[in-house]
Amino acid sequence: MYHNSSQKKYWTFISENELVRLRVQANERFRSKLLATEQVGISESTFLQPQEEAALYKHYEKRLLDFCAVFKPAMPKSVVGTAGMYFRRFYLNNSLMEYHPRIIMLTCCFLACKVDEFNVSSTQFVGNLRENPSDQDKALEQILEYELLLIQQLNFHLVVHNPYRPLEGLLIDIKTRYPAVENPEMLRKSAEDFLNRATMSDAGLLFSPSQIALTSILNSAVRAGLNIESYLTECLGLKEDRNTYTQIIETMKSIKNLIKKYEPAKTEEVNLLKQKLEKIHNEFSKVLNQKRRKGYEEDGHVTKKAKTEVCVFLIVVCHTFILFSRFIQTFLH
Amino acid sequence: MDEQSCPRCKTTKYRNPFLKLMVNVCGHTLCENCVEMLFVRGSGNCQECDTPLRKSNFRIQLFEDPTIDKEVEIRKKILKIYNKREHDFSSLNEYNNYLEQIEEIVFNLTNNFDVEKTKQMMEQYQKENKDLIQRNKIKLTREQEELEEILAIEQKEAEERRLLLLKEEQRQLMAKKKNKQALLDELENSKLPAAVLLAQHKDRAAQLETQIEKQSQVLQPSKFSTGIIMNQKISLQPVAKVEEVLYVYQPLHIESYGPPVPDLENLGRLGYLNHVRATSPQDLAGGYTSSLACHRAIQDAFTGLFSH
Repeated sequence: MYHNSSQKKYWTFISENELVRLRVQANERFRSKLLATEQVGISESTFLQPQEEAALYKHYEKRLLDFCAVFKPAMPKSVVGTAGMYFRRFYLNNSLMEYHPRIIMLTCCFLACKVDEFNVSSTQFVGNLRENPSDQDKALEQILEYELLLIQQLNFHLVVHNPYRPLEGLLIDIKTRYPAVENPEMLRKSAEDFLNRATMSDAGLLFSPSQIALTSILNSAVRAGLNIESYLTECLGLKEDRNTYTQIIETMKSIKNLIKKYEPAKTEEVNLLKQKLEKIHNEFSKVLNQKRRKGYEEDGHVTKKAKTEVCVFLIVVCHTFILFSRFIQTFLH
Repeated sequence: MDEQSCPRCKTTKYRNPFLKLMVNVCGHTLCENCVEMLFVRGSGNCQECDTPLRKSNFRIQLFEDPTIDKEVEIRKKILKIYNKREHDFSSLNEYNNYLEQIEEIVFNLTNNFDVEKTKQMMEQYQKENKDLIQRNKIKLTREQEELEEILAIEQKEAEERRLLLLKEEQRQLMAKKKNKQALLDELENSKLPAAVLLAQHKDRAAQLETQIEKQSQVLQPSKFSTGIIMNQKISLQPVAKVEEVLYVYQPLHIESYGPPVPDLENLGRLGYLNHVRATSPQDLAGGYTSSLACHRAIQDAFTGLFSH
């Protein structure tokens, strides 16, 4: 349940300003880190500004959602929502310049498939990439490389509460208790669209999934020319509690505004920024990210090559020992 | 389990039911016949480990595993040297360390670990604690003697009691006999009718019985040899009842920041189930019902709705 989840406790923030602050912090952290290495060719202009990062982020988020939309076998909506939320949470505390969003995006999708019990094998997963098999293998390797990092950066809070099930619940409730709407099913299409747009906003980090779902239904009703605000007072027991009523109306308004505010990143701008990002990653990634796979090796995931080497070594030792003992035996006799 | 056999002549318990296996200090077995044959001169070397052995040191193997026999032998020897008691130490911890040390030595000697070093250690210990060992030895023998004395006294007492009982029985027998004889005499000489005489005799016999019983009661010991009094009454009173504040169940309350959710059982009655997919028979077999999914959806829809 959401009310005692890690999402409510650690990943629901009070205001948009706080999110902005965290992102700027992440940006600055990377700057100071790179400046501390005292590499040649670093100047303020090499870095991406926080707004630029936001524009690039939008672009890659769109790519994530597109990737999920054409994924075969078809991905359930909750998986898409979870992947998007992982992506959002990851770049709340990390800079795009430090970890390349292209690979983090795939890792988020891969992890979301696992966590939401959407069973695809890793080869099947990378099979969805429009690349040749050798590149796919490389991508898979990278995904596995970043998976542990991602989990760590998510602070091991892997359960994401998406607004899709609350939407179902609310529709069931409306059908049962609110006969004023004749055909609640017609609200579904536009409500789902609303939720899809909500994944591209910070709504998931600011509001509870049920609030977002309720907003989507009310919004859909308004579009259909219905006013179902009496549902709140009649069925959700807010008749007496004016305080809560005004509060939830406010909340819904801000969710609506937040989603309306969204505008896609401009292609030309993104192309420019992408070049800048590539430059940063090509020049400085070696300095910063040396030990990424550490987690696996510590767990005893020794690579195959190393294993065979150990075996060969052991066999040689055994042979030497046997020869030696034979020698001693003959010597004694 | 493999059968016990002599390592030298390969005789087994099956082939020779009278087979007796012997063990010496080194912990290697030999059967009685082989011991007789190999150690005719009274001493010789062990077949397996070449330890010089004496014939007189051979013991009958008591345990299935000869190393245990060996360990028992070693332990006996070591405890003669390491005979400190608990009150020789200032703290329990030290005493425990000392016991641990003994175990270490026994283990080392049994398993042929650092034998030389251990023996050196033992010798040194013996030299250092010569006085104490001697004193403890004397104390031990004294205690042993005291114990034996007590046992002897007890035995003597038991013997006396037995003799007393025997005597008493004889006396009783004599009394009964006399009584019978008296009856015969009276029947012969008296002028009273026989029935009266018989009644008189019966009375006397009964008196005699009660007398005997009384005496035997006196003779019975009132204590066990351990000093516990016989025929003690055990108190059967119930244990005192302890009054405490009782646990009061408080139903779990969860703040869900939303409107109340109808109970799982009531979903059907309230009409919620008309709006969800009906459960297929296959799903029912697995324990799934449509109300579960419906309940979850509604719970998710209402939780956190009013939070801010």
